[in-house]
Amino acid sequence: MEQCASVEREVDKVLQKFLTYGQHCEQSLEELLHHVGQLRAELASAALQGTPLSATLSLVMSQCCRKIKDTVQKLASDHKDIHSSVSRVGKAIDRNFDSEICGVVSDAVWDSREKQQQILQMAIVEHLYQQGMLSVAEELCQESTLNVDLDFKQPFLELNRILEALHEQDLGPALEWAVSHRQRLLELNSSLEFKLHRLHFIRLLAGGPEKQLEALSYARHFQPFARLHQREIQVMMGSLVYLRLGLEKSPYCHLLDNSHWAEICETFTRDACSLLGLSVESPLSVRTLPRVPDRWQCAGLLSACWALGLAAPAPALFCSFASGCVALPVLMNIKAVIEQRQCTGVWSHKDELPIEIELGMKCWYHSVFACPILRQQTSDSNPPIKLICGHVISRDALNKLINGGK
Amino acid sequence: MAVQESAAQLSMTLKVQEYPTLKVPYETLNKRFRAAQKNIDRETSHVTMVVAELEKTLSSCPAVDSVVSLLDGVVEKLSVLKRKAVESIQAEDESAKLCKRRIEHLKEHSSDQPAAASMWKRKRMDRMMVEHLLRCGYYNTAVKLARQSGIEDLVNIEMFLTAKEVEESLERRETATCLAWCHDNKSRLRKMKDLLDPARWRMLIQQFRYDNYRLHQLGNNSVFTLTLQAGLSAIKTPQCYKEDGSSKSPDCPVCSRSLNKLAQPLPMAHCANSRLVCKISGDVMNENNPPMMLPNGYVYGYNSLLSIRQDDKVVCPRTKEVFHFSQAEKVYIM
Repeated sequence: MEQCASVEREVDKVLQKFLTYGQHCEQSLEELLHHVGQLRAELASAALQGTPLSATLSLVMSQCCRKIKDTVQKLASDHKDIHSSVSRVGKAIDRNFDSEICGVVSDAVWDSREKQQQILQMAIVEHLYQQGMLSVAEELCQESTLNVDLDFKQPFLELNRILEALHEQDLGPALEWAVSHRQRLLELNSSLEFKLHRLHFIRLLAGGPEKQLEALSYARHFQPFARLHQREIQVMMGSLVYLRLGLEKSPYCHLLDNSHWAEICETFTRDACSLLGLSVESPLSVRTLPRVPDRWQCAGLLSACWALGLAAPAPALFCSFASGCVALPVLMNIKAVIEQRQCTGVWSHKDELPIEIELGMKCWYHSVFACPILRQQTSDSNPPIKLICGHVISRDALNKLINGGK
Repeated sequence: MAVQESAAQLSMTLKVQEYPTLKVPYETLNKRFRAAQKNIDRETSHVTMVVAELEKTLSSCPAVDSVVSLLDGVVEKLSVLKRKAVESIQAEDESAKLCKRRIEHLKEHSSDQPAAASMWKRKRMDRMMVEHLLRCGYYNTAVKLARQSGIEDLVNIEMFLTAKEVEESLERRETATCLAWCHDNKSRLRKMKDLLDPARWRMLIQQFRYDNYRLHQLGNNSVFTLTLQAGLSAIKTPQCYKEDGSSKSPDCPVCSRSLNKLAQPLPMAHCANSRLVCKISGDVMNENNPPMMLPNGYVYGYNSLLSIRQDDKVVCPRTKEVFHFSQAEKVYIM
């Protein structure tokens, strides 16, 4: 934080100086122009009258000339004085930020293989689809001449299409989707289908008394939900009584609230994400949902989440990048220390990082067993062994203990 | 947000990632300052010249008419000075304000509102991706992404586009644009030879390096790439690469299709401390959810075994063998 504050201080000083200088510059030049203008007017009238240049006027003009010279030269030198403040900004940046960034691994690890670059581009495209940034993804495909599987794109395109329709208050596509995923939605205890029907019903109600018959007949859609949503259905049926009077003046006016639309988008987004196995974090609570295989192939609807103020689900690329943000400075530091102390032997396994990176418990995706005795990760050739007492150590450690005569 | 970043960690990351974010607008500020100084100096000397002429005339008993016309000349030069000064100051002020905007954005990393902090991190990744895309030459994508993410002010698109123009004109065997660029940056170039300021050289080298990379199709090691590599390594475990794919995790980024291939040549994470994750629930196994080993050697969390228990029996999800619940033994991990 101090780094930003340090640079900001210098920038603020420069901004202040520009402001002051600008005002002063304009003002002085205005004054000069005004003064000269007056002199010119006097001279012009003297010219008209045919009188020669008076001594007084000549003196005043000489003084004016001196003043002009002094003023403009000071303006130039005052501006020059700002230079040191400007360069202090640059110095503050150099002091507080590293101008060189180095890789953790050899530079050429992804470069030399064109294929890796293409895979990276593909990962970015996938990420963009998950973000709902379809046009950006398409543009990247074009510019990098990548071909994305239609199979991959399909779910994103479909779900975004449904959301767009919802934004335009068209419930059709969402309903279709909800019906075709009914079973799984029920397993999730989702009330999306009911809510969609309810919204349609309310919209009919808002159409006034002429829509009464249509609303009544639409109400049959509530039948399968009668048990779960009895109370809400009663409320809606009750509201029909006030249709002639106008719902806005009735105790049921809350039904006409616009927030229902925002709510349905949110419900749809959450349920679609959960169905496709994505965990959705909201700023207020963390909900992790039951895991479903092939999760990483699905639509993330991230931009919808953002639009609704939900924090983003955490897709693979984003997570990896965020981990990198934590890891990078740690690794750069240790690399510098190793090089400085010339003990490059410490980083001997090029296939393992030299230091542990703390990412937090939510990033523990796999079990890791490190032998408490030898402090090394176990592997297939050196697996963990459970002792009779219930403690677990690595086989190498066990062998060492045995051979140590214990 | 899955990855925890403390305030101190975020600060360290800013230090290594954000140099270009601030230095590039600073260099523009510097350039515009020098241009402003030049303009002011030039117009000032014009004013001084006509005023000197007027003074000379005054000392030799001039006709009123000639004085009037000289005065007109003074007015004109003063007006030009005023105009140029105002324009130049506006330009420098603009670039100083851009520096300010970027700093203010960077400061938001430490917001204590989780939604704002989350948004900042997302924008950070978008910013780095835009730079990466620019380095790869995917300009349209970069511009689109910057626009959609609302980060146009925060990325150095112009720098890359200028370099692109220079390069393209060179490809057309036209030297005019390149020469214009050299002229534009002349004072900086000249000064660099004189002052040998390392930071300045680096900025210029960055600019030229970009050109070189494109010309010779060398790799682009954007901040994005380097960060991603570090991140993939920090997550990578041997289980992401088991041949039968049995230990892949749907949550693990490195297990996902594309990233799995990308992470292959990278080093693995270093783990000095054990941590066990239950395959059934994805939850951590610790004193609240003790690890239990079935007779076949596989370990699951106590809570998970409870949840899959039926008629006092459990079915191992990996091997489908059936055991009695009581056959599960507690293991101790240190």
